[in-house]
Amino acid sequence: MIHKKRSLDGATRESLDRATNGTGTDGTGTDGTGTDGTGTAGAIEARGIVKSFKARGDVLAGRTVRALRGVDFRIPPGGAASFIGESGCGKTTLGRILAGVESFDSGELVLGGVPLAGLAPRKRAPHFRRVQLIHQDPYSALNPTRTVESILRDPLALRAKQTGQSRAWIDGRAREVLDLVGLDPGYVLPRFPHQLSGGMRQRVVIARALTVDPAALVADEAVSMIDVSLRLGVLNLLRELRSTLGVSVLFITHDVATARYIGADGELYVIYRGEIVEHGPTETVLADPVHPYTQCLLSAIPVLHGVEQPGADRLAPTEPLDESQPEDGCLFAARCPFATDRCRTEHPELGHLGGTAHEHACFYPQRRSVVATPLADT
Amino acid sequence: MTAATQATTSTAAAAPPAVTIRDLTIVYRTPAGELPAVSGVDLDLPPGTITGLVGESGSGKSTLALSLLGAVQRPGRIAAGSIHVDGLGNLVELSAKSLQEARGGEIGYVFQAAQNSLNPLKTVGKQLLDLGRSHGVRDRTALVRSAKELLAGMGLDAARVLDSYQHELSGGMRQRVGIMFALVLNAHVLVLDEPTTALDMISQANVLKIVRAVHTERGLTTLLVTHDIGVVAEVAERIAVMYGGVVVEQGETADVLRAPKHPYARALINAIPRVSGDLSAARPLPGRPPTLGTIPTRGCVFRERCAVYAERQLPACVAEQPPLAPVADGSGRLVACHAVAVEDQQATGETA
Amino acid sequence: MVTAVEIPTGNTPALTPARRGFWRNLWRVLRRKPTRVAGAVIVALFVVMGVVGPFLYPANLPTDPGNAYAGPSGSHLLGTDFQGTDVLALLVTGSRYVLVAAVIAAACTVVVGTGIGLYAGYRRGGPDSVLMRITDFIITIPGLPLLLVLSTLWKYSNPLTMGLVLGVTGWGSVARAVRSQTLSLRERGFIEAARGLGLSTAHVVRKELLPNVAPYVAMNLLISVTVYIYLEVGLFFLGVLPFNENNWGVMISQAVQNGVTQTGQGLAYLLSPLVAILLLTLGIVLLVDAMDEVFNPRLRED
Ligand SMILES: Nc1ncnc2c1ncn2[C@@H]1O[C@H](COP(=O)(O)OP(=O)(O)OP(=O)(O)O)[C@@H](O)[C@H]1O
Ligand SMILES: Nc1ncnc2c1ncn2[C@@H]1O[C@H](COP(=O)(O)OP(=O)(O)OP(=O)(O)O)[C@@H](O)[C@H]1O
Ligand code: SF4
Ligand SMILES: [Mg+2]
Ligand SMILES: [Mg+2]
Repeated sequence: MIHKKRSLDGATRESLDRATNGTGTDGTGTDGTGTDGTGTAGAIEARGIVKSFKARGDVLAGRTVRALRGVDFRIPPGGAASFIGESGCGKTTLGRILAGVESFDSGELVLGGVPLAGLAPRKRAPHFRRVQLIHQDPYSALNPTRTVESILRDPLALRAKQTGQSRAWIDGRAREVLDLVGLDPGYVLPRFPHQLSGGMRQRVVIARALTVDPAALVADEAVSMIDVSLRLGVLNLLRELRSTLGVSVLFITHDVATARYIGADGELYVIYRGEIVEHGPTETVLADPVHPYTQCLLSAIPVLHGVEQPGADRLAPTEPLDESQPEDGCLFAARCPFATDRCRTEHPELGHLGGTAHEHACFYPQRRSVVATPLADT
Repeated sequence: MTAATQATTSTAAAAPPAVTIRDLTIVYRTPAGELPAVSGVDLDLPPGTITGLVGESGSGKSTLALSLLGAVQRPGRIAAGSIHVDGLGNLVELSAKSLQEARGGEIGYVFQAAQNSLNPLKTVGKQLLDLGRSHGVRDRTALVRSAKELLAGMGLDAARVLDSYQHELSGGMRQRVGIMFALVLNAHVLVLDEPTTALDMISQANVLKIVRAVHTERGLTTLLVTHDIGVVAEVAERIAVMYGGVVVEQGETADVLRAPKHPYARALINAIPRVSGDLSAARPLPGRPPTLGTIPTRGCVFRERCAVYAERQLPACVAEQPPLAPVADGSGRLVACHAVAVEDQQATGETA
Repeated sequence: MVTAVEIPTGNTPALTPARRGFWRNLWRVLRRKPTRVAGAVIVALFVVMGVVGPFLYPANLPTDPGNAYAGPSGSHLLGTDFQGTDVLALLVTGSRYVLVAAVIAAACTVVVGTGIGLYAGYRRGGPDSVLMRITDFIITIPGLPLLLVLSTLWKYSNPLTMGLVLGVTGWGSVARAVRSQTLSLRERGFIEAARGLGLSTAHVVRKELLPNVAPYVAMNLLISVTVYIYLEVGLFFLGVLPFNENNWGVMISQAVQNGVTQTGQGLAYLLSPLVAILLLTLGIVLLVDAMDEVFNPRLRED
């Protein structure tokens, strides 16, 4: 398993106050395949996270929705983990739990190497603060009545108070974080959020998150509401923060291509109805998915005809998720084109594919190439 | 149905376009005066094809699409140009009454955010009957029957859906109900505004499959508006790229994707991350998309972000908006770029 | 450090100085519509009247029984009352009580209502239920009878007591409305972000929530002023409150008691306070229209 027992030492305490200017963790920490036990200092781990909600809405009212059914993952410092899955699979819930804005029923969280289980709620707050959430909608994530300067000032002032820094430090740091996210402080500071483009707003949101020297950013659909031409800039920023500041990125999205762009060197987790059904190095899972759900998901990605050719084994679209489908056996059985009787009665557990880092939860794993590949002549 | 299939397979050049838009300008009244959201657009929708209209937020896609319904709302108005729809004539000159009949009748429209545009207080079936009444449909049984056929064709339990309220349907189901409403009165022209934007990949793939299927089955002429080039690439034969209220490139989808000519089209296509291949091929586009008030009024709308202009500084780019003109290679591609025109001239000059 | 610095290109809107003072914002927004300027002028006139007016006249206004119920004339612009006192003088000296009490009441309403609404909406859960029970109780207290009962204890000779009593019984609906706004704001990303950054509850309420409910609070403040003026004037008019000082309500009450409505004599005497109230209401209504834009930087532009 990827989750080995690790010793938690003084290094983790230090990491809380790690300087941000890029020297804390060197750029090489980004290879993050997560299969070995090295570089545990700032790692983020989740073990068996379970979360249920009382369902809302009229259709399922009164029932419990099992949003997460025991999720395990690990992100090394500066590493990337992408979570993909269709709507309602629990991706957002997972991100919110990690950032401490949502509670969970059971399981264990280790943030920056510190297990939270033994800590009193008050003591957990500083650890949760090191995981910052980047919201999907950069407009609603910024207070419309305040200028960027005042938005950045508050968290910095709080920090200055704690560490006894001066006003000048606050001003300097505000400019610094804006520089880090590629914005011109002189232009941005006096402006209100609505005076900035979507991409700039999202950068301000990221800059604000950087004011607390986070160990990790949870980016939940962080570019889906930004203009197409500006998306890549924000994605590049997240990539660079990984290598320059050693910030880990947990990237949640429907859009597999952006997940790949952020974390081609990281891990990809495919989540279905609150369960991880496939996991492995991003490029491996995309090129050789073995779980039928992953294959359905990847088959649904539009093919850029003219530049790409569809994967040889591309599957036809399945019907969308229906929460009322049976929960015994494989959760995907009702929609799976390859399901057998065994699938409908027995629950497949996550296990490794022939001793590799590639994990899946399917009785009949079968490599299928479903994603589009570039046409030879381009 | 054979006619329809023929129409789909025949190329754009063969049949006269079902919809011809010429020199269309639509302005919105703002505190800063009347500003054009669509300026001098030419667009043809060949019969039996799906045309994808892509562009970023605020580029004027919805405004252009709404004009096909004669439904540009105040403070907007059509300031110039014509919209010819086969069998209806010039929409700009039609009376309000004939326009109202055409809407939902000849021309089916699925609104942006159709997921939320159903009346939450009425069942789908009741809304269907309302639609029939407003269009003077006598035979209500036939109306319900064709609605059921459409819904069943899209893989829904028709009886249940007609009995449902909006909140009882998922996003993908609502989108299909929207398509049913657009087609139930036998529209020939279908306009879909961002039909998959709020949906996840699997629902999106389902909706696109359905769009493709009804389009072929009914021999429609379809305009699909989206900001997602992938969606267009998946289902549309033709693509039109909009920027700042102007169509900057138009042609066969595969051609345009393979070799975009307009600098904006090229930059936009290059800015999309891919699921396979070389990751570093993706390049960000500098600057930001213009809003109504910041679209340059003189010269090319894209000039400020244009890499070609940055390099070659053509005076024409500053002087006037280039017209959408055929490219010399004979591919039927239309491009609005001075640099492309100059290259073409040089190329033809050399060969001559 | 980052390669692609997002440099704004030439098509970015010219920078409108973002951190302008509140008053300059107010002025800019008012100037945008003549009706707003008119509203502001009217309100300003009344404020001046309430503050300065009483000093312009002697403490005891002269009476002239020989010239009672006179119509408007050069020496008495609005005519005279049943004792021959100048109506304009009565109107001006009587404004202070009414206005001060209404402003105090409105301020009370808004401060208490907003405070409770914000806190209940932000904390939710237990504190919310308790506070909302209290709010419901306040809302269900019938205001007028309570004031009548209290009038047996208090004489309301002082606008301060009057204002406090009105305010303390009137904040319920504001609290409810602010709470529901807070509940919806709470779901917005920036509130969650502030908490995620470790900012205190006081900070979140004061600096994140309050500015966003401010337009609403300001509108309530203005509208409550008119509501309370009507309420006060109504109370005095009904004659249920004893009075030992002049104010608009007293004027109307006296005019009616002295038979102006029957004889038609001294109509200006009856109408003056009524028109004053209507005019002030108009001024406030015209001003309310500007509040959204004053507090919302997005609307403030273009
Ligand atoms: N606060 C809540 N109360 C009740 N149910 C909830 C709540 N939050 C989430 N859920 C339910 O939990 C499940 C997982 O939701 P979640 O938002 O995590 O999904 P997601 O994968 O982020 O979906 P999407 O891609 O649509 O954002 C869904 O069935 C959702 O309805
Ligand atoms: N009612 C209106 N009043 C004033 N301006 C408007 C109005 N509707 C649209 N606009 C402006 O017209 C321009 C084009 O808008 P339109 O909705 O057509 O864009 P779009 O390409 O559909 O964008 P999106 O992808 O966001 O839907 C935008 O700049 C928009 O701000
Ligand atoms: S276990 Fe069976 S049902 Fe589940 S995904 Fe694999 S093949 Fe399909
Ligand atoms: Mg989500
Ligand atoms: Mg639109």
